[in-house]
Amino acid sequence: MVIPDLGRAVWPPARSGTGPRVEPGSFRDPANQVFHAGGDVLRALDETAAAHWRALAGSTFFPQLVAAGKVCGTEELPPGAARELLAVDRLDGTEQRPAWAAVLRHERIPFVSHPYEWSYAMLRDAALLHLEILRVALPAGFTTKDGSAYNLQWRGSQPVFIDVGSFAPLREGEPWAGYRQFCQTLLYPLLLGAHLGLDFQPWLRARIDGIEADQMSGLLRGLRRLSPGVLTHVHLHRSVQRRNAARSTADVRAQLRDAGYTRQMALATVRGMEKLVRRLDHRPPASHWVDYQRTCGYSGADRAGKERFVTAALTGARRSRLVLDLGANDGHYSRLAARHADYVVAVEQDPAVVDRLYLALRDADERRVLPLVLDLADPSPGGGWRGVERASFVARTGADTVLALALVHHLAIGRNVPLPEVVACLAGYAAPGGRLVVEFVHPDDPMAVRLLANKPDGIFPDYRRDAFEALLQGCGSVEDRLELPSGTRTLYQVTLGG
Amino acid sequence: MNHLAYLDAGSGSLIVQAVVGGIAGVAVAAKLYWRRLVSRFRRQPTDQS
Ligand SMILES: C[S@@+](CC[C@H](N)C(=O)[O-])C[C@H]1O[C@@H](n2cnc3c(N)ncnc32)[C@H](O)[C@@H]1O
Repeated sequence: MVIPDLGRAVWPPARSGTGPRVEPGSFRDPANQVFHAGGDVLRALDETAAAHWRALAGSTFFPQLVAAGKVCGTEELPPGAARELLAVDRLDGTEQRPAWAAVLRHERIPFVSHPYEWSYAMLRDAALLHLEILRVALPAGFTTKDGSAYNLQWRGSQPVFIDVGSFAPLREGEPWAGYRQFCQTLLYPLLLGAHLGLDFQPWLRARIDGIEADQMSGLLRGLRRLSPGVLTHVHLHRSVQRRNAARSTADVRAQLRDAGYTRQMALATVRGMEKLVRRLDHRPPASHWVDYQRTCGYSGADRAGKERFVTAALTGARRSRLVLDLGANDGHYSRLAARHADYVVAVEQDPAVVDRLYLALRDADERRVLPLVLDLADPSPGGGWRGVERASFVARTGADTVLALALVHHLAIGRNVPLPEVVACLAGYAAPGGRLVVEFVHPDDPMAVRLLANKPDGIFPDYRRDAFEALLQGCGSVEDRLELPSGTRTLYQVTLGG
Repeated sequence: MNHLAYLDAGSGSLIVQAVVGGIAGVAVAAKLYWRRLVSRFRRQPTDQS
């Protein structure tokens, strides 16, 4: 495989940079390459990929998928515009590879996320969308070249297939090339939850290529072999893999074709997998956070005051394009923020809480709130090749408004993070000139008292309101503050970098 | 070059898909293994001569 010259990509990206920048997560398929230019997401295609794209654009199933929002919006740029947008030296063949033959422009996904930041139901819906796309592509004579969870992104609670370069004409008699990848990055993580009660996120975060059949078969022994999907997709899959390890895929493809493999069989496989995936479920053990809204101890007056304060912060200045709601719990404030901002990312550490939030957002068809599983004391690091193929959480932030409501005490007391660090971290998630809306729970608040009770007396001498305020003043100007009626919580609105 | 195959689809992963592709798929997998078996027997006499 040819790996394009990633070394020339500028990383980290200059936020104001306008020159085309190679997307560091797009190099595995040499037939196409994603670039960022200005605010646009572009995909350059080689000769073959361009021919595939034109066939795809002329099909009936593809425009329907785009119209339904299931595949990201895509248009081909006229050759002149394409050449202007992409650096000429990449197009004119000065490199050891032919010039790109066409350039596509994609709809922008508001916030890129990784499968290890999704909840169980999110991963399942992403898997179902991938299978659905294959199911409608096959009868039209198309397939996808791969089957990765990374082919999918989100528009709020709606999954979107983004890898338009993955579509290619079907070769009669060949099974799906993406099946193994689908198993490793989608099906097996779902089986981990459904049959073992394990959260899949740490597995996917640690392994860019997902979980192998070998590893799965070791985990699913005894009676678990009989659980749905295990005997075939795990154990049989693994033993056939072992027995055929020495045979080339080209030989096996030819043998299957000669033995009469047809696309009807491929369709039957996809339907079978859809049925299986729909049955898989995992209810992560409910933590006390699931019940938070009932047990949080806010009075009605506190809540009303807090809502008014947050609304005022969001409506007072320039409309926010991106809001980060940190420690979002049931997403009450994320949804409130979505009324006054373009897009809200609701970050929450508890997978069970995020799963509930996702299902509620999905029921409401909310396209502007994206829920993510992420521990702010251990946010997603950069991953994959050179550690930039999958951007770290920090590299993806830069919000216009950061909400940190009833969160600081969890980090400062619950996780022992020094208060100046907490404030610097929260402020760092905002773009320069952005806003921070933060709630400080006083040390005498019942929730803070409960957390402090688990720690030795007096180990957090700095956890005081005056110390907190001084830190806020150090990173910007405090525009507004409100002590809630209960008297043990204060809200602040800070313009950063002032 | 098979332009579709930038990804190593995995030989075993290709065959398994026949097995999970319904009764007709199982028949294809059986046929594939049968042909492998037959061709091994056919080759043997020439190998020995
Ligand atoms: C007290 S609730 C606040 C919910 C909401 N922001 C509000 O003000 O009503 C705190 C939430 O933060 C989450 N949380 C605590 N520590 C966190 C961390 N390190 N990373 C992400 N979320 C965290 C908890 O799981 C919980 O849902």
